[in-house]
Amino acid sequence: MKAHRHTQPAHKRPQGVPRPRRCSVRDVAGILGWIVHSGVVQGVIIGATLAFLTAVVVMNLVLRRITRTVDGWASIPACGRPENGVLVRAACAKALPGVNVFEEAAYWTTTRDAAGHRLDGTKTYVLRFPAGQLPPNAAFWSLTATDTVGYMVAGSTDRHSVDDRSGLTPGADGSVEVVLQATPPPGHEQNWLPIPNARFKLMLRAYLPGPAVIDGTYHVPPVVEASVA
Amino acid sequence: MNRLILKYGYPITAVILLIFVWVIAQRATGGWAALAPLVIAAVIVWAVGAPAFIWFWPRITVNGFRRAIVRRGFGGGPIPVNTLYAEPRRSSASASTGSLMGTGTDDVLYIAGWFELGERPVVVHVPEMTGRYFSLQFTDPSTGANFAYIGTRATGSAAGDFLITAAGWAGQAPSGLTRIQAPGRSALVIGRVFVADQEDQPAAYGLAQQITAAPLGS
Repeated sequence: MKAHRHTQPAHKRPQGVPRPRRCSVRDVAGILGWIVHSGVVQGVIIGATLAFLTAVVVMNLVLRRITRTVDGWASIPACGRPENGVLVRAACAKALPGVNVFEEAAYWTTTRDAAGHRLDGTKTYVLRFPAGQLPPNAAFWSLTATDTVGYMVAGSTDRHSVDDRSGLTPGADGSVEVVLQATPPPGHEQNWLPIPNARFKLMLRAYLPGPAVIDGTYHVPPVVEASVA
Repeated sequence: MNRLILKYGYPITAVILLIFVWVIAQRATGGWAALAPLVIAAVIVWAVGAPAFIWFWPRITVNGFRRAIVRRGFGGGPIPVNTLYAEPRRSSASASTGSLMGTGTDDVLYIAGWFELGERPVVVHVPEMTGRYFSLQFTDPSTGANFAYIGTRATGSAAGDFLITAAGWAGQAPSGLTRIQAPGRSALVIGRVFVADQEDQPAAYGLAQQITAAPLGS
């Protein structure tokens, strides 16, 4: 029976021109079956996933190289620039998508205190800016507490950040101490930054940062856990 | 969703890798012949895919902004292409919602827009900002680079009109418009207008709304 399929009447097809073999449903099913059972599909899925993870690892390594970290505070001044290469572009897109160039706005983040421990909202911390050492800027600065990913957390208060408009009260030596804890610190409400009652992240912003920020000579002071009274 | 993936990235990855190990172990019982198609396919896809992910990552993230802008918007519905939308609320209003806005700051009101410059340039109008800090950041979707700024630092506080054109636009810019050339045919626009506090919000929003965009000649 099968042989008849290949013998065509001479008047319909010129001699010597072979009729292309038709791809039967059974052939297609066979190929699909092989792809499924041979493991090619699993291979593609595994390869794509490992490619994704490899890209993430590479971008994280690049991030580590371009991140400036002092006293736990990390900033990435290189991001957003047209002259960046492929790797820096990708790393920046991963870490800080849509971020400003550094001279427009400087950002510092930390999830660790001065001792290197993870910031924990059940504790109390102090961020002490020595006299004249608030973030230099020509626009504004602010300090925000977020969850560990970077999203603000709704709390019992509208106060989500402290900034140059918070009326922070300086100490006798001109230094400014920001008190970070989940509940209002009696007597220090004016300098209080509420933090989520869990692990958290801090973000310090300085818009139109001063030259000391851009050249890296300005350092954000470390976040110190308050000694247990 | 995004937020959950970021938060539980390591455990999710570990589970996926364990599943892979299990799949490979199952196949390995059949010897190398049973394993070869899987391994060869995986290596080819990995070798092509890893550089591709890195190359396209900026485009993927900027495209996320594009989708958020033209499909959903930020509370005022989808934002039409070649227009700007000013968000009246500060970021903390989106606290705990998982919205992109929740990663922002309460110091500014955000402006967002997506420009398609292929057919016509877009005119951006900025009012007299009376010294209030603001910026419009123009981002190239293919690289994630900020190719231009309008704002206090880049162009000053005075009122002005700017012509945003695609690369290679050969037309004549109308007089009085400062030309800004994009490296491609589209641009992500993120704007920020300083807001001092709750009481300052109406004044800041009033100015943010006056920062507008429209195609040239419309």
